[in-house]
This record gives sequence, C-alpha cells and structure tokens, in this order.
Amino acid sequence: MASTTGRRRRQRAAVASIAATTGIVLAACAPGGNSAAPEPAGDATEVSTELTSEEITLTIADETGFPATDELAEEFTRQHPNVTFRINRDTFQNLTANAPRLLASDTPPDLIRLPTMGDTVRDGLLANLDPYHEAYGWDAWSDSQLAPLRMSEENVRGSGSLYQLGLGYSVTGIYMNLGIAEELGIEAPPSTLAELEEQMALAAENDVLPIVAGDKDGVVNFVVQAAMNQFADQDEFMAWMFNEPGATYNTPGNVEGAELIRAWADAGYFSDDINSVDYFEFVSRFSEGGGLFTFNGNWEAATYQEALGEDVTFFLVPPVNEGDGHVAMGAANSFSVAAKSPHVNEVAYFLNWIHTDPTARQIVVDVTGASPGGDPALPMPEVEPGSLIESALEMAARIGEEDGQVDFMANTTAGIYAGSIIPESQLLVTGRITGQEFVERVQEFYEGEVGTR
Amino acid sequence: MSRHETLPTRRGGAPRRVGRTAGGSGVTGPPRPRIARRAGAKAPARRAAARGWFLLLPALGMYIGFVVWPLFMGVQYSFYDWNGVGPATWVGLDNYVKVFSDPYLLGSIRNAFVLIAFFTVIPITAGLMLATLIRSLRPGPFSRASQTILFLPQIIPLAAAGIAWSWMYAQTGAVNEILGWFGLGWFARPWLADYGTALPAVGLIGSWVLTGLCTVLLLTGIGKIDGSLYEAVRLDGAGWWREFFTITLPGLRQEIAVLMTLSVIAALSSFDIIYTSTQGGPGRATLVPALSIYRIGFTQSDVGLASAFGIVLMIMVLLCVLPIQRLSKAGDR
Amino acid sequence: MIADRTERVLGRVLLILALVLTLIPLVNMVSAALQPADVNPTGLAWPSDPQWGNFVTAFETGHVWELMGSSLFIVLGVVPVSLLIATLAGYALGGLRVRGGRAVLIFMVLGLTIPFEALIIPLYYQAQALGTLNSQWAVIFPLIGLFMPFGVFWMRAHFVNVPPELAEAARVDGAGLWQEFRRIQLPLAIPAVSALGILLFLWTWNQFLLPVVLIDDPLKRTAAGALTFFQGQYSLSIPLLNAGALIIITPAIIVFLIFQRQFIRALLRGAVKG
Repeated sequence: MASTTGRRRRQRAAVASIAATTGIVLAACAPGGNSAAPEPAGDATEVSTELTSEEITLTIADETGFPATDELAEEFTRQHPNVTFRINRDTFQNLTANAPRLLASDTPPDLIRLPTMGDTVRDGLLANLDPYHEAYGWDAWSDSQLAPLRMSEENVRGSGSLYQLGLGYSVTGIYMNLGIAEELGIEAPPSTLAELEEQMALAAENDVLPIVAGDKDGVVNFVVQAAMNQFADQDEFMAWMFNEPGATYNTPGNVEGAELIRAWADAGYFSDDINSVDYFEFVSRFSEGGGLFTFNGNWEAATYQEALGEDVTFFLVPPVNEGDGHVAMGAANSFSVAAKSPHVNEVAYFLNWIHTDPTARQIVVDVTGASPGGDPALPMPEVEPGSLIESALEMAARIGEEDGQVDFMANTTAGIYAGSIIPESQLLVTGRITGQEFVERVQEFYEGEVGTR
Repeated sequence: MSRHETLPTRRGGAPRRVGRTAGGSGVTGPPRPRIARRAGAKAPARRAAARGWFLLLPALGMYIGFVVWPLFMGVQYSFYDWNGVGPATWVGLDNYVKVFSDPYLLGSIRNAFVLIAFFTVIPITAGLMLATLIRSLRPGPFSRASQTILFLPQIIPLAAAGIAWSWMYAQTGAVNEILGWFGLGWFARPWLADYGTALPAVGLIGSWVLTGLCTVLLLTGIGKIDGSLYEAVRLDGAGWWREFFTITLPGLRQEIAVLMTLSVIAALSSFDIIYTSTQGGPGRATLVPALSIYRIGFTQSDVGLASAFGIVLMIMVLLCVLPIQRLSKAGDR
Repeated sequence: MIADRTERVLGRVLLILALVLTLIPLVNMVSAALQPADVNPTGLAWPSDPQWGNFVTAFETGHVWELMGSSLFIVLGVVPVSLLIATLAGYALGGLRVRGGRAVLIFMVLGLTIPFEALIIPLYYQAQALGTLNSQWAVIFPLIGLFMPFGVFWMRAHFVNVPPELAEAARVDGAGLWQEFRRIQLPLAIPAVSALGILLFLWTWNQFLLPVVLIDDPLKRTAAGALTFFQGQYSLSIPLLNAGALIIITPAIIVFLIFQRQFIRALLRGAVKG
C-alpha cells in the first residue's frame, strides 16, 4: 500500500506543478503586441516614383482562378526586366482567413488580395498609399471608386487614408438568356422591377427556371442585395457597410428587399437544390441554358459570351420606377501593400502602371472583363464591338455617371459573410425565415462583431 | 504452445490496466496482482526504469513541445480578446460565457453529437460484421481483395471524400440515379441541401471512410484471439452468432475501445469533410465545432473566443472518451 | 469453415454489397474525370468517349511533381521519426513498465482528445517564433508531436500484450535490455509497427488543416492541402478537378497496395500464431 500512496502523492505533486506552470503562463504578459501599432513602412522609406534599377523580386498573394496578376506580372517584367514576381495562389476562402497573419509575418507578401481590411489598418499591417496618391496624381481618378478603399483612424471605411487599389473595378447586373427569352415571347430586358417579376413569373409558368443561382457559398446574395438596393437608402446602406457608428442593417428598405426574395423563393423562382449549388456550378448551369436570368458580375462576361454566343445580354438591375437611377454592387478587385514590405515604392509603381499603361489596362479588361479604373480621361482599352464585355463596360460607366455604385454587403466585416449572411440567406431562399428575420439576424451578428473591436 | 495458454489470461489482464490508467484521475484500483509481480522483479526493475525513461524522452519531448505547450498558449489566449495580431485585452471568462450562451455554437455541439452515430456506431457495427465475414472466408485472393477495397476510403483524403460525395449527393448525382434504378425516384432530393438529410448525409461520408479502418483493425484483433477457443465452441455445435457473441466480441474489447476512442474524436472534431462538402449549411444544419472554431479564429479573427471554444471542445471530447475506457474495464470483470 | 450454407451465402452477399458501396464514389470520380472537360458530369454514366487526355491536362497544369515532392518530403519527415520514438516509448510503458509510466500514459492519452483546431492558432505563432512558418517544417514538427499520443498508446497496447515470461526468459539467458528489445520485442512488434506506419503515412498525406494554415504556398503543402488548390485551379471544370484529385491520391493508393501485401501477411501471421 505504501508504494500506492507514494505514487498518488507524486501524481498529486505533478498535477500541482502543472497547475502552477499554467498559472505562471497565464499571469505572464498578454499575447500579441501590447505596444501601439507600428508605424507603416510608407513613412519610413522615402517615397519615390522612380523605379529602382536593382534586381528585385516582388511577391504577390492572390486567389486561385483569377489569372490577371500572372499576365500583368509577365508584361511588367517584359517592360522592366529587373523586376520579377513570385505569385502564391490559394483559394479565396483560405487566403482571406490567412491574410492578417500573412501580413503580420516577418516575410509578408509585398502585394496581397484583401477583400476586407478589418483590423489590418488599425494593427498597422497595410502601407498607407496617401503619399503615392499625391506623388502620382491619383486625385484625377474617380473618387467614388477609391472611397471604399479608404479607411479612417476609427476603423470606418469610405474616408481617411488610402490603403488599397483595385486590379479592375467590377459592376454587377443581370444576364439574360435571349434564346429562352425568345421562346417565352420576351422581347427586351425589363426596365422596372415589376417587369422583371412579370418575366420571371412567365418563365416559371412555362417550367423554365427564372433565376439560376447558387447559395452553397452565399452567392445568391448578389440577388438578395440587388433587391435591397432598389428599396434601400443608398447612403444609409453604404454607411453600414463602412461600419459607421450607429449604422444599421435593419432599415425598411432592406427588409422590403429581403421580403421580396422570400416571395421569390415561395414562388419557386430558385432551384430546389440552391443550397448545394456553388458559384462555379451555377455559372456553368447558366452557360448550359439552365434558366432565364442570372445575377452576376461583369467578370463573367467572357465566359457567358463563349458559352452562349449571341444568345445572352447583360443589363443593370432595373429600378422600382421607370426612369429612376440604377443602383448596383460594384467593387475593386482590391489589393493592399504590406506595411512591412521592403518594396513599397516598387509595388506602388506597379499599381500605378496597372492603371495607366495601355497594355496593362488592356490585360485587365481582357482577363477580368472589369473596368481598368484610373484616370477617366485615359482611352478605354479596345474591346470587340457588340460583345458582352463592351456592354459590361458601358454598364460600369453608366453606374459611375449615375453615382449608383454600392459595395458588396459581404465586405462589411471580415466574419459576417461566412458567419451570418451565408447561413441566413440559405434559410431565406428556402423559405425558412422571413425577410424581417433575415435582416434582424444579420444586424445582430454585425453588432456582435463590430462591438468586439 | 505456451502462448496459446497464456494469451487469454494476459489479454484478460491488459484491458483492466488500460481502463484504470486512462479512466483514473486519482483512482487506484486493487493493487494486489501488481505488487506480487513487482516483488518478483525488484532489483533489475530499477535499472530498467532509468533506461525506460531514457526511451520515453524523445516521444515526451515532441509531445510537450508541440502539443502541451501550444495547448497552454491556447488556454492563455482564451482569457483574452485578441484579433491575433494587435494588442490583447484580458476579459476573464467572457469568452467561455459566450460559448455557452450562443445558440449557434451550442447547435454546432449538438450536431457533433449526432455525428457520433455515423462515425462510431455504424462503422464499428459494420466493421464487426465485415471482419467476422472476412475471417470466415478461406484465406485467398477474395479475402485479401475485400480488405484492400474496404480500406481504400481511408487512403483518400477526407477533403477528397467530401468533394466526391458532394457530387454523389447532388440533384443529378449518383445517389438519386441509383434510387431511380430501384424505382425510388420519388425519394430523390438534393441530399446536402435538404435540412432533414444534410447532417445524416454528411455523417454517412464519415461511415464510408471509417468502416474500412474498423474492419481491418478488428480483423487484426480477431487474429490474436486464441484459435482453440473457436474450435471449442465449434465442437459444442455453436453457430455463427454464438461464436460471435461468446468468443469474438469479448475478445475484441480492447480494439473496440481503441476504435470508439478514435472515431468519437473524429466525430466531435470533424472538419475536412464538412469544409469541402456543406460548409455548415444549409443554414447551420451541419455546422460543427471545428468549423466554428476555424471561422471564428481565422475569418473573424476572434482568437480568444475561438481558443475558448477549442478548450471546450477538448473537454467535451475528454468527457466522452473517459467513459469508453471505463466501459472496457467494467466489461472485463 | 462455415457449416451453415445459408449463412455462408448471406455473408457473401453482405460482403459484396459492402464492397460495391465502398467503390461507388471512387468509380464515380473516375467516370466524372473522363467526361469532356467542359461538361458538368451527372450521375454514374460511363462516358461514351472517355477523355483520358484530361489526366494529361491536369498533370501538366497542376504542378503535380512539385505537389508530390512536397507531400513526400513531409511524410518522410514525419513517419520514420514518429515510428521510432513511439515504439521506444511504447516499449518503455508497456514492456518495461517504468515507474511513473502510468502518469505518463494518462498525460499522453489526454493528448488523444485534443482536436487540432484547438491548437492551430498557438501552433501558428510557435512556427513563426521558430522560423519554420511557410515551410514544410511548420507541419512536420507539430505532426510528430500530435501523433505521439496515438502512436505511444498503440505501441504500448502491443507491448503490454507480450507475455513478460518471454522477456524474463531472455534476461535469465543473460540478454541485456537492448538485445532483448532487438531480438525478442522488435520482431514481435513488426505487425503493430507496420500497421501504425501505414496509419501515420495516411494521416500525414491526408492532413488538411495544418498545411492550409501553416504554409502559404499551396505547392508546399500535403496532397490533401493541395486539393483546395485544385479546387481553385479547375473550378470551372469538374472533370479536370476529378482528374487532378485522382492523380493526387494515386501515389497513396499505390504505396498502400504495395505495403498492403506485407501488412496483411503480417496480420495473417499474427492470426496463425495468435
């Protein structure tokens, strides 16, 4: 028995020492940096618009499936052989989840695809591009295009310093399958929301799927937000997406839009398996003639054109009343420069080149189908007359003129899309919750996330 | 020949030790047999003990360095509000309160428990059946091929299993097509998009993966059972069922305990399959703790809450696994 | 061996059913991979015109050599070391029954219950501190540590079942600890070690979360981690994604089939002797 109690005592001692160690660890200094955010490197290095003549390699972290950076890098190296690139690609999901830690690491990528800035500005991870804005004269560019790329010291987007630029600026709308439309006797794209609904009802009556959409990965929110945009107050909606204090998602306009989606769901305008259909599947379903309409961005113009030829057209989501201005989601394919990058000058040069060099602008349009941005006075790249890309660029210009661009609500906070908008929209488009409930739940999540800052 | 006689009794003793060690926080069982053994080999034991610790060191070192130490760090993080990069704020138990008050997080825990039925109960039951069936075959190509085929899903990355089964379960996928062959077309549905079937459908992917592992490991266990015991019941005129319940099942207690431990952990902390098949949807029908932790910690950058949920998940797993160890011990008496 | 004919037939039918169910998803992957690259495959139908070229396309565009090399590097870094130190520790705990071993075992078995997700964030910062972040070492070290609870538990379960009379007989014969371990324990342990080796190989090859988080370059990850790279690369072509996925898992299957012969022979030998 003696040995048993002795062992027990030793075990107890071991447990006690483990507990003590834990205590010491916990009492030790808090994780992470306690000091104030480090100064962005942009202030440390002298701003220069002259490209270095040294041999350097710039690293880019980008998402898979978007080859624009490959081609831009190749062209830049052709023009400036001393600058080469290393491009790491990962899925959108992995990249967005890893981005803050990548930027904080000792060897961050110089340029990174960053859909939501989140806390990265407050933590001093992004290079402030204001000095380059001045040095390169970016003030000639469209302010409304750059506004969502700015962030204030209070972590509110839309104003403050510039931390991102776009490799292409997108706009969303509706693609219509003209072949199916003709069979249904539809002659022209709808000019009001009511007309759109009539055409969808007509399709449903004839056993044609009115809206080709998928919501496994939340992309049905192109439709949800398109409906909201037509009812909501644009500034109020944008204030929420920019996280302005006191802003709310629970507005009458948003509720009305969400209720309309619920009505469409009840009417069977979405496919039954919508929640197991991902982005790529619904794109290919529409390409194969799977339905009358699909809500998507100008970046898919080339894909749809190739698949459907002349049988497809692109137009902006129609407003409630004929003649009202259009409102559409659009955003920069946003990239940021790491504050710790030793090559901020060179990356800024590269970004400026993308917006100004004719070949680069042509690549952006050809590869992404999105508008190249930059100075509106610069000539637009050439596109095939009558092509979908051409009409997509026209739509982008029109939204610019009408000042009707809003950001994607998925970009509101880092966690809101996966944590709330996707699951709640899945419930909404299958008629499990009302539009009111959808809006309330998303707002509740928003308050929880913004509140923790 | 001597092993034939000693094995059953040794095997009888072994699980008891496993049970006590794993189940015993401060529980010290009847010491008699051990003291008797110890007294017999006291002098060489001391030298052996020193060498024994030397053999233990590398494994312990890696374990402490890359599991225990990070775990302490995780415990520390769980008391802070921290985005993983910037300064952290001490918040005490707030993160734990949040874990137990958030209905979505609690829902994900409930889903994980449902998955146990598919990750543990089905594979072990099927594995027992298949292992006894394969054992009853004459050793030969068919027996070997059966094991190889059944084990194949274990070789596929879970992530690939999730992708492959997503098409199987799709509206136009193989599952619905096969139902059609049997005139069950009316039963067809998009299995992963249906609120009622999504969780069981995901669970069955786990069953598919784990059944082969269970079969092969149980077969190893059956192989260790004394063959003369089977001969004895055969002479008694026992059939397949009696043989199974009187010899096979009791003899496999230790293997079953290991498999239950493994598969319950796999169920409660499942990630890859869900990540590549449903992402937690539709709604939150297949949301599981591991996916929540990944999202909260990485996408939402709330490291404190994610760490707290991680600790809770670990304790949950512990509470489920301890009784399994006791079960194997109790059944042994 | 089975006396009852009905039982025998029923048993065969059940077994064959299980085999078919196991194979369907794999066959489905192959049939999907052989469809024309621009078509969305449906159901189980075998393509009328199999596109074997899809495998070539996927191989060429998928950086397969790089992916394989990286996966292999990680496996070679993890498995041999894990087997060695787990066997030593398992022998110390199960064979030698060292003093305090019980506490060590509890301490380690508790590690079985730690989900990787609970550790992943601290592991990230640890890798950063060690300077291994974004290299394969960031995955190799933690995986060895994470496999220790199971490896040691598994090997101890083997050694605890070896009759102590064998070891005692060896000691009486004057054999030292090392000799006893090498001549008596190790040969007996080979089935357990090879089974563990196969499991660890598969768990490493198929490890998903660690490489995705700890290595930023998808081409430096494990095979499973690389699958998300394929998902992005071939997002518009399900046949190519299938072809890529099949290429990625083929080496694992081949390695398994080679080892399977020895694995099962070991099992059978265990069965005859046991």
